[in-house]
Amino acid sequence: MVSISAHNVGLSYRLGRKLSLAPRDLRLPVDQRISEHGRARYVRALDGVTFQLQAGDRLGLIGSNGAGKTTLLKVLHGVYQPNVGHVERIGKVDALFNISLGFRPHASGRRNIVLRGLINGWTRYQIEERMDGIIEFSELGEFIDMPFKSYSQGMAARLAFSVATALEPEILLMDEWIGAGDPAFQEKARDRMLELTQKAGIIILASHNHQLLKRICNKVLELDAGRVKAFRPAEEAFSKS
Amino acid sequence: MLNIYKRAANDMKDGLRLSAVWMALAKEDIGDQHRNTTLGPLWLVVNYLAFAASFIFLVRVGRDDPNYPAFVATGLLVWFYMMDVITNSVTLFLREENFIKGTTLPISVYVFRFFAQSVIRGGYALVGCIFILAVSGSAPTMVWLYSIFGIAILVMTAPAVIIIFAFVGALFPDSQFLITNLMRVGMFLTPVFWTYEGTGGIRHFFYYWNPFTYFLEIVRFPIVYNMVPVTPSLIAIGIGCGLWISALWLLGRLCRRIVFYL
Repeated sequence: MVSISAHNVGLSYRLGRKLSLAPRDLRLPVDQRISEHGRARYVRALDGVTFQLQAGDRLGLIGSNGAGKTTLLKVLHGVYQPNVGHVERIGKVDALFNISLGFRPHASGRRNIVLRGLINGWTRYQIEERMDGIIEFSELGEFIDMPFKSYSQGMAARLAFSVATALEPEILLMDEWIGAGDPAFQEKARDRMLELTQKAGIIILASHNHQLLKRICNKVLELDAGRVKAFRPAEEAFSKS
Repeated sequence: MLNIYKRAANDMKDGLRLSAVWMALAKEDIGDQHRNTTLGPLWLVVNYLAFAASFIFLVRVGRDDPNYPAFVATGLLVWFYMMDVITNSVTLFLREENFIKGTTLPISVYVFRFFAQSVIRGGYALVGCIFILAVSGSAPTMVWLYSIFGIAILVMTAPAVIIIFAFVGALFPDSQFLITNLMRVGMFLTPVFWTYEGTGGIRHFFYYWNPFTYFLEIVRFPIVYNMVPVTPSLIAIGIGCGLWISALWLLGRLCRRIVFYL
């Protein structure tokens, strides 16, 4: 049974005051989450974040810019290691953060599917198995063997979307809802995303679009300055909107 | 301390398991660097040959040393490899920033990706070196096989060097310029194209106190002097072990934190 839980997760990191010959910024921090210890500055990005999700849960992450939504997603994915508390994941975690990551302009669309698949951790067999479906969904046709750099912005976005969503996730993390292409493709993309959310055991979606979250999610976690402000059912959270 | 090395070992193990990823990316990198050119990666051979031939021709004038082409060819082969590894490692994590911040791939994947690139580039230079050795009339002997052992030591030390310089570059961004300049000067302070005949003076210092010398000699000695370089091999292995101990310590200590430095 898939599940994901955060237990008192805290993340502080030293601000990148790198060893450099450039003159230093000596201004004092005004944000309470930035503290100074000796010559080092620390940012407290997350503090005491605790929640638990079971199979079937769809969590909406809300909060103002800088509240810690993306940081929390990256902690849950494993990009950042918390320095306090821990995260427990049961099930395969997939993330849709930067769908264009790793696309190579000179390689063909087909080669980019292979490379992106390898980066995603797919085996050669899984890549071959998904290849036709990805090409078909992207509607690139014969352009699939042309260099990626020759694609229009819409074509590139369609390919990136098709590869990124060719997953069978157990736990899916999303930083904003993704869409791509012209209006017709956007509709298709919306259906694919809904299908993906239905297939996944657990979804965590960070977004400012409360209408979307209301439609997709059954739980909402609101972050404020890296702390959990509220963790409650979606109907309750969006009852006024 | 033990945990640091355990973390580094796990990162390396996970990275090695993902060989399909870094090999594919490394091949793409090499291809991209020579995309749209007629000769493609063969330019790596041409570049090496042009440089080596210029040095052999210019420095050989007035010398009566039939081994000099082999001396320069092997010296440049090793030097170019070391220079490529060191100067490009400094910016490695900065180049891979988007991947490091957007995926959970182990840090060693980026190290191996660049290591594979450097080995491919070195392989092309080796073709050029073999060509010069053949043209210059150097007669192969069984002792030459020892050079393969020397190359193996050099190549096996490279990932450690990449790890160290990649972390140095990420923590101290100015280092990329310092190191590039030091390596440019280093070529003239290392016996790449000059010889040392035990006459003392400044050359004595630069010959014996320069760690690069030993990596040059373990490849060059068997070919040029038909001798097995026992002492340089032991010193190079010692340096290699020291570099690996330092590299794994850095990797274990910083692999989870490097994302915050970029």
